[in-house]
Amino acid sequence: MLLTSVILVLREVLEAALLLSILLAMTHYLGLKSRWIFIALTGGILGSIAYGAAIGAVSETFDGMGQELLNAAMQFAIYGLLLLIGILLINNRGGRQQYRALLQWCMVFAVALATLREGSEVFVYMIAFRHQSDLLQSVLSGALIGAGIGFSIGALFYYLLVGLPQRRRLLVALVLLTLVAAGLCLQATQLLEQADWLPAQTPLWDTSALLSENSLMGQLCYALLGYEATPTPIAVAAYVLGLLLMAFLLSATWFRRGLPERESSNEFA
Amino acid sequence: MKSIRIFLLIALLSTITLVNFVAALHGYRASMAEAERLFDRQILGTARLLAAMPVNRAASLVVNENDLQAFQVWSRDGKILMRSDNAPVTPIGEGKAGFSEENFSGFRWRVYRHTGDDGRSIRVAERVDLRFRLADEVVLQSVVPILLGLPVAGLLIWLVVGRGLNSLRQLADELRRKRAEDLTPLALSSPPEELLPLVRSTNALLERLQASFDRERRFSADAAHELRTPIAAIQVHADNLANLLAKNSGETQQSLLQLQNSIARMSHLVEQMLNLFRMTPEHYPARFEPIDLHRLARDVIADSYPTFARRAQEIELGGEAAYILGDQFALVLLLQNLLNNAGKYTPESGRIAVDVRVLENAVVLQVADSGPGISTAERERVFERFYRVGGDRHESRVSGCGLGLSIVHHIAELHQAQITLGPSPLGRAQAPGLLVVVRFPSLERTTREITNENVEDERALS
Repeated sequence: MLLTSVILVLREVLEAALLLSILLAMTHYLGLKSRWIFIALTGGILGSIAYGAAIGAVSETFDGMGQELLNAAMQFAIYGLLLLIGILLINNRGGRQQYRALLQWCMVFAVALATLREGSEVFVYMIAFRHQSDLLQSVLSGALIGAGIGFSIGALFYYLLVGLPQRRRLLVALVLLTLVAAGLCLQATQLLEQADWLPAQTPLWDTSALLSENSLMGQLCYALLGYEATPTPIAVAAYVLGLLLMAFLLSATWFRRGLPERESSNEFA
Repeated sequence: MKSIRIFLLIALLSTITLVNFVAALHGYRASMAEAERLFDRQILGTARLLAAMPVNRAASLVVNENDLQAFQVWSRDGKILMRSDNAPVTPIGEGKAGFSEENFSGFRWRVYRHTGDDGRSIRVAERVDLRFRLADEVVLQSVVPILLGLPVAGLLIWLVVGRGLNSLRQLADELRRKRAEDLTPLALSSPPEELLPLVRSTNALLERLQASFDRERRFSADAAHELRTPIAAIQVHADNLANLLAKNSGETQQSLLQLQNSIARMSHLVEQMLNLFRMTPEHYPARFEPIDLHRLARDVIADSYPTFARRAQEIELGGEAAYILGDQFALVLLLQNLLNNAGKYTPESGRIAVDVRVLENAVVLQVADSGPGISTAERERVFERFYRVGGDRHESRVSGCGLGLSIVHHIAELHQAQITLGPSPLGRAQAPGLLVVVRFPSLERTTREITNENVEDERALS
């Protein structure tokens, strides 16, 4: 039981924590206030509890597929927000200050949605064990270990990003955001497959022997790159499409803006 | 990075957690495998024991067992000879001999099937969750101390890092206590190796700075004395000469008038140079006190009113009482220079407007004239020493030494004020005029900042 809860909690916490680290590092890079993080996390956690409590009612909608569809919609929404964040980050390059409030709110919503989605899964899992007192202890300690590993990796990852040289930091963050976003597309497709909105297919390949999804490394790759040991052709297509679309839009924005120009000022003191 | 202490705390705690928890997971896997082997051996032993036991073939025997293990002994012809009370009456572990997993009695069991020498089939089963529970137990024993230890480790790291950063705090304290004009070397008792280069280079820098300031101060004091005296003497002699000539011939010589003008210019230049040196923020021993800038402006305007009246210029003062924390002498000099500048460049019968206003967190002094103004390209350069717009060929033909705005700049810096130049509201197409805006921090803000700074310093170091 312990191992199962470690894997489950680690998967959810790691996904949210890595996204949070990247956005927090960018907040630091742009010199924005990091107070938004509390709004996002509080909103996300409260939302996940509400969503977890209402999971029964949600599941019953759409012929019993409500949960899968809602989760897929949230994944796509986070993808859209990450895309917008990427574009706004490029626009704020070189000390320019544009649409900062919008950028801030995009970050709040992205983190809150991610926390809500991942948090609700942990919440539902935990709720299932609340009456089995003999298992509860191992489930709880498994969850603590998973959360501990997830948050630790997130924190170290944040310091790694903050420690990067100033001019590379934005580029690295954009690449990471693109990879995370493409992973979200893949997961959303899988959810749609589960909901029978997309046809079920045989996996294109199986790399579980090479890198198991249940290993720590597998979980890290899952959270950061959207790694899947047995992806279906549609899932692979969604991943590649999501990746290319974001990469294209971001590089178009990047090169359209050109090099940041210095603004002149007549102020002295 | 906001604080070294917080960075070290989070990074170290994360590393400790990560390493320990990953180690605990590996421990879990290892103890799981060990438990597997142990339990399998136990099942094997039970099966062998049962195989060696003689059994009554006439009636089947039901043995009381604990809930965790079950067994069946079947005869060669498929009759149950003996079973535990929790085992079903149907055969468990069908299939080939050896270990397999099956479900019965509401649990999952690991079943071992053994065929004895006499053809009896013995099946021993053990609940699978037992093994997990044992492994869970083992890993919990190792994880719980880590979980409990983390806050303790956090507290210890916090204290130890704080202790380690102590000398850095001392250095910061020492630097904070230093006043702007205090350039004595830092006295840090036995600084650690890592801070030694910093302390050494800071002290070397302070020493060089002190030497250079001393040189400058001596120079300006000497220059003041050396220049003022001969100029004053020349002035007196020229005046005497003028009086003498006027008495003898009844008229003043043109060249003598020019000489007097040149002497006046020279005297002004020397005064301005001395003011500039004196007003350098590093040199000037400012005495800050609450001052009403509006009232001060009124006094200065009143003092220099004859100059404006001589050229029939109209000067007005607008605004309200506005208090700032400032140095009276320096502020008078600032106003004099700004007014002097405005008066010089505004043509005869032109207008000059002075305005002092309280805005949010700031007191704004505006001096607008209706002179030729300064082009955008030149606005940055006018604060340079001896720079004059258009040089001496300026259309206003106004003499000056090009130091006025540099002095104003120094005084603004001394008061943490911002100067902006722009086109004047009094200007016209041919003469856009100049608007000088000096934005002083208001009295409340300055006071608040000083308090906050102290509080923040305290907080950062505690």
